[in-house]
Amino acid sequence: MKTVSLMGIFMFAILGIAKLSPEEAPSRMQKELDIAARVGSAMVDGDLCQKIVTQRARELMFARDPGDRFLAGDNYDVDDVAFNTVKKTLIRLSHLSSFPADVNLWMPIEGHPGRIQLVIRNKNEMSQFWNWGELYGDMVPEMETVLKTGQRVTVTDKPGWISVLAPVYNSLGDVVGLIETVSQVKMDAHENVK
Amino acid sequence: MRRLQTRFVLLFLIAIYSRVLLARDLQALPEFLRSDPFGAIVAPDRSGADLASSLYGAKHQVVLTGCRGGYVSFHLVVKLPSPSTYTLDVTIPDPTNKVQIDLFREWFHFTDSDKRYYPDALIPVHATYISRLPEPDNRITKQTAQAFWVDVYVASDTRLGIFSGTAKLKANSKITTLPIQLTVLACVIPGEDVVTIDHNSYGSSWLAQQFAGSYRRDPDQWFESNQFFELIHAYHRVFYEHRGIFHQLGYGHSGKVGPEFAPVLEGSGRAKHITSWSLYDRHYGPLLDGTAFSASRRVPRPIPFVYLPINPEWPASYEFWGERGYEAEFVNVVSEMERHFREKGWTHTNFEVFFNHKKRYKGFPWDGDEVRFPKDLKYFLEYDRLLKKALPPNTPVHFVFRADVSWDMEEQFKVLNGIVRLWCCGGGILSFYRHAPKMLCDRGDVVWYYGGPPGVTDSSSAITEFPLRAWLWGVNGYVHWLTVSPGEDPWFHFDGGQTALIYSGERFGVSEPIPSIRLKIQRNCLQDLALLDSLKRRKSLDSLRARAARSYNNSTLDDWWNSRPALADLPSDQWLGSAIDDATKHTHQALEHPGASAWYNVHQYAMSLQAEAK
Repeated sequence: MKTVSLMGIFMFAILGIAKLSPEEAPSRMQKELDIAARVGSAMVDGDLCQKIVTQRARELMFARDPGDRFLAGDNYDVDDVAFNTVKKTLIRLSHLSSFPADVNLWMPIEGHPGRIQLVIRNKNEMSQFWNWGELYGDMVPEMETVLKTGQRVTVTDKPGWISVLAPVYNSLGDVVGLIETVSQVKMDAHENVK
Repeated sequence: MRRLQTRFVLLFLIAIYSRVLLARDLQALPEFLRSDPFGAIVAPDRSGADLASSLYGAKHQVVLTGCRGGYVSFHLVVKLPSPSTYTLDVTIPDPTNKVQIDLFREWFHFTDSDKRYYPDALIPVHATYISRLPEPDNRITKQTAQAFWVDVYVASDTRLGIFSGTAKLKANSKITTLPIQLTVLACVIPGEDVVTIDHNSYGSSWLAQQFAGSYRRDPDQWFESNQFFELIHAYHRVFYEHRGIFHQLGYGHSGKVGPEFAPVLEGSGRAKHITSWSLYDRHYGPLLDGTAFSASRRVPRPIPFVYLPINPEWPASYEFWGERGYEAEFVNVVSEMERHFREKGWTHTNFEVFFNHKKRYKGFPWDGDEVRFPKDLKYFLEYDRLLKKALPPNTPVHFVFRADVSWDMEEQFKVLNGIVRLWCCGGGILSFYRHAPKMLCDRGDVVWYYGGPPGVTDSSSAITEFPLRAWLWGVNGYVHWLTVSPGEDPWFHFDGGQTALIYSGERFGVSEPIPSIRLKIQRNCLQDLALLDSLKRRKSLDSLRARAARSYNNSTLDDWWNSRPALADLPSDQWLGSAIDDATKHTHQALEHPGASAWYNVHQYAMSLQAEAK
């Protein structure tokens, strides 16, 4: 049954209207991103996500050394097997949209409530929440809602941007992270090529 | 008759004396002494103040001496105590047009860090320049001095001998004339540089910001317009004219590729293929066949190096990493690229397979740039395998695997031997490994090191340290990691220019980039290095290097290296960043703050050798 439902969702996305008028684009995009987010909640393995950022990276993420201003970044490391497995799933989820979209993985940081880190980005380099280059940032209220309630939340705060945030579960049933399915009504082909 | 003669001599002396007095309105300064808008030497250059009169001959003429095939440069400073219009005219007449003058007005940037003015951007102006002081667009209310950069180009086939010219200032109904005497020596500056100086950049979006007027006229089509591609070519051209090269990285840390940096792909898996070269060829064609440089004073030629768009997400989708589909996509598309380049005859350029991403930017799980964790090297090995599979063994197209290395460079030199052929090394850590340049060059690898440009608040000679170090170290080149980013308001709130050696000319009605004083000084330094190196048949290279180092800052060749620290024996993932700083203290202290006259002394040494050769 679950398989049939997922196939139905896939078909909807693939057969969805490819060319949208400017007026209807945001709402149709939002629907497709919501579908991808919903599927993502079912598909993304939260246990694996929790293995991506290494202990060393977590321990030094907030470390400060006046003599070494790149301390946290230079020690940022990941388990590449876990990273690759989850990233491949995220890329496949992005194919559910009939327009260019990214699916990013965000994880809260143990011991640092109110902070969150982007763990995996993808090839269109889109996110409504990531400030370029930062290892971690402040958690926006919508992310907090997702992590606390398990509900999907759509965010359109930045003009032209649509993100749907959806929970990622581990095998204990805990919400351990969230995915951001994201796109822009008008893509900038040159942004973030740096 | 005798009385007449006496009267004539007296009048002549008065005329000369007046000229000297009047010439205070118009001062020539050597290239290493920058003037501020009030006529004083900027603070970082005052250590070289004793050079102030070095350009003047016994008759108060400006005395210039240079080899052929290059430039001789100096500043001219117009000084007017009160607001006034003026006309400046600089000429060195040469009927054969082998000696040419390029005149630039120096823009005075206000730097927020120290609330002072520094000249840097050079606005091309006609040899006859009419304006007023204070210069209206620079908006310095009490400005009393306007500096100009004078480039005297001496073609390689210029006749030997003396050329006479003048700098003439008309202001307040007075005419001040400064005679110029240019002596052209027999020496010819080699066209080839002994060190490649690279000027790096990322993407193209900054072009739309810096040439906003052009962009706004057609924002939807601008990135595919002729103006856009001509602008990119102009950037390559201005660096080439200044004996440098230019790189534009065409992809982001998660693999997003700018449309003009790659052919268009379609399909997936074994069906993935190139469908269009249109933008790529418009971008790179004139650069790869050299026609973009056809109007250059230097010999037009294809660019020697270029980044490829290859990254973990292009041409193969990372979705298939480690699977047959990844290999199929990578091999098929790279094979097509090789074929296209071969058919176009683009066989004089090194096409760089270079991974710039860092895992901290969350796109991929390994560092392509500055590997710290040895486990990441397995990805390099896999790309080498894929590349070898994609390329015919005897292809005339030069694909070169490049790695930018720091922490783990010593290990990478071993593990990636025969794989990476272009090493771009962090200067600090490379200074631990004195044996490395020779070892790498002997096996046919190209070695560059990298850093960033000095700011305008450093001494004028600071920029010469990088090419000099490359030459002293015996490496092939140096990379300024970012050179096209002068900040949001370089004109009135300048950040100092540590990421810029070039500016947009749009503000001045110039549709191309304009150079800087630092870029000019770097070019002149490269001329001298080429000259010095050309003498290695007469003197040993070591002795030339040792003397140049001593002339520069009284250093020895040993001062340019650090001893191998204990941390070098640890795995690089156990190093501390602060320990690297400690380990490079020796060179930092020995080479700190070269005075403004540092390169002047090296130049004098180079010229004295030319005189000996004669």
